[in-house]
Amino acid sequence: MALRLATRRLALAQQAPKVFRRGMATPTASDTLAHTKGEPLSTISEATSASRAPIPPSKTTTIKEPETDPQAKIKTFHIYRWNPDEPTSKPKMQSYTLDLNKTGPMMLDALIRIKNEVDPTLTFRRSCREGICGSCAMNIDGVNTLACLCRIPTETAKESRIYPLPHTYVVKDLVPDLTQFYKQYKSIKPYLQRDTPPPDGRENRQSKADRRKLDGLYECILCACCSTSCPSYWWNSEEYLGPAVLLQSYRWIADSRDEKTAARKDALNNSMSLYRCHTILNCSRTCPKGLNPALAIAEIKKSMAFSS
Amino acid sequence: MASTALRPALRQILAASPASRTLTSAALPAFRSQKLLARQSPLALQRAAFQTSSKRAILPPLPQTIRGTINDAATVPDTEPSHGSYHWTMERLVSLSLVPITIAPFAAGSLSPVLDGAFISLLIIHSYVGFQSCITDYFPNWRVPFWRKFFDWANFAFVGIVAWGWYEFETNDVGLTEGVRRVWKAGSKVDVTA
Repeated sequence: MALRLATRRLALAQQAPKVFRRGMATPTASDTLAHTKGEPLSTISEATSASRAPIPPSKTTTIKEPETDPQAKIKTFHIYRWNPDEPTSKPKMQSYTLDLNKTGPMMLDALIRIKNEVDPTLTFRRSCREGICGSCAMNIDGVNTLACLCRIPTETAKESRIYPLPHTYVVKDLVPDLTQFYKQYKSIKPYLQRDTPPPDGRENRQSKADRRKLDGLYECILCACCSTSCPSYWWNSEEYLGPAVLLQSYRWIADSRDEKTAARKDALNNSMSLYRCHTILNCSRTCPKGLNPALAIAEIKKSMAFSS
Repeated sequence: MASTALRPALRQILAASPASRTLTSAALPAFRSQKLLARQSPLALQRAAFQTSSKRAILPPLPQTIRGTINDAATVPDTEPSHGSYHWTMERLVSLSLVPITIAPFAAGSLSPVLDGAFISLLIIHSYVGFQSCITDYFPNWRVPFWRKFFDWANFAFVGIVAWGWYEFETNDVGLTEGVRRVWKAGSKVDVTA
């Protein structure tokens, strides 16, 4: 190989006659070098190389740029973006376009596709993709809902806007900070409180009628859609518990097995915790699980109306 | 500038359009040169041209603070039925009793000064409770304790002033029901001197 390189260098420098040039399997037919006409360096290297000449473009097919699909249903999504790593830059709305034919039916599918294929920096919470974990709660087209339970509207003329849950501190992009929400949930003691052991020493039993009272309450997944849609909770989230936590509180007040019902009611019996509910009913309208937190709050108020 | 040439009505529509939501209102300082606004967003310029007063948030949200650790439960307030359940029950009873006492004079004419007085007393209590609810909503004690106290007492003082005014109207004038009857002349010619 060293010999061959040296020969080439010699050939270039001295323009030696063709007979003195050396090469391995040097093609001799002049027409094979037609495509290098006018380029002396290429002519020499082609002539001296071991490779054969490429097939000219006239004898090959052309691979064109991928054509845009005429059937494509392009929809625009405007998504709230904010990056904590750049605290001086303001939040912005970033637009993305997706072909709905290549996207799943739900908003979460669109978000996952954007994250996988378009912009990996997009940040959001998601887990179960079937509306049982409550992670992907966000404000889509002006309604708090779970992205995994929200269908993408198929009309492409209408653009979708996605924001994090309103009136929450934003961690990044679509991720809200729910610390206060969870602290309030903890404050209502969301677990069975009993002093007396069960009569048979095995289980705390409950009649079917008593169990039926918990329907519509136990399904709550604490996605915080209702609480963050409540104007009263927007103003007073430090003290007012909000519809989700009050529904959970009623779930334990209504439980026939719980023995601390009076203490639970006393904890709500002040001007802020419960009575900041002004029956605005945004909570019942927005609940992605179809529950009725406003009814639960009304039941608490009713049961407390004539007791201390 | 093109935007200032727009008619005020058109400008109002533009300012109210959902596209103007891209501006976070709290982040927009009160006074800023129009040049800077024009560079940032033509919509902001239109809005600035439309608004004659500066924007002032009364209680802008504070930076996030977490009391204790994130694993501590939120503090449970003391039990105060007089501000809780008793207050709520009283409020509803007042509202409920206002319904028949409002309708009764329509049905039977002015019944008696006592009923008139009861009506006015209930109205004053009802509006006092309503304003109190607004004050509790918008002036949190933990944040603006002085103004909370100030408005609570102002509300209470107005109850006294309004009650005194109604007392004068009831004793030295025709009273509420008769006053409404004189003003309310549906269908007939409006006679201001009556």
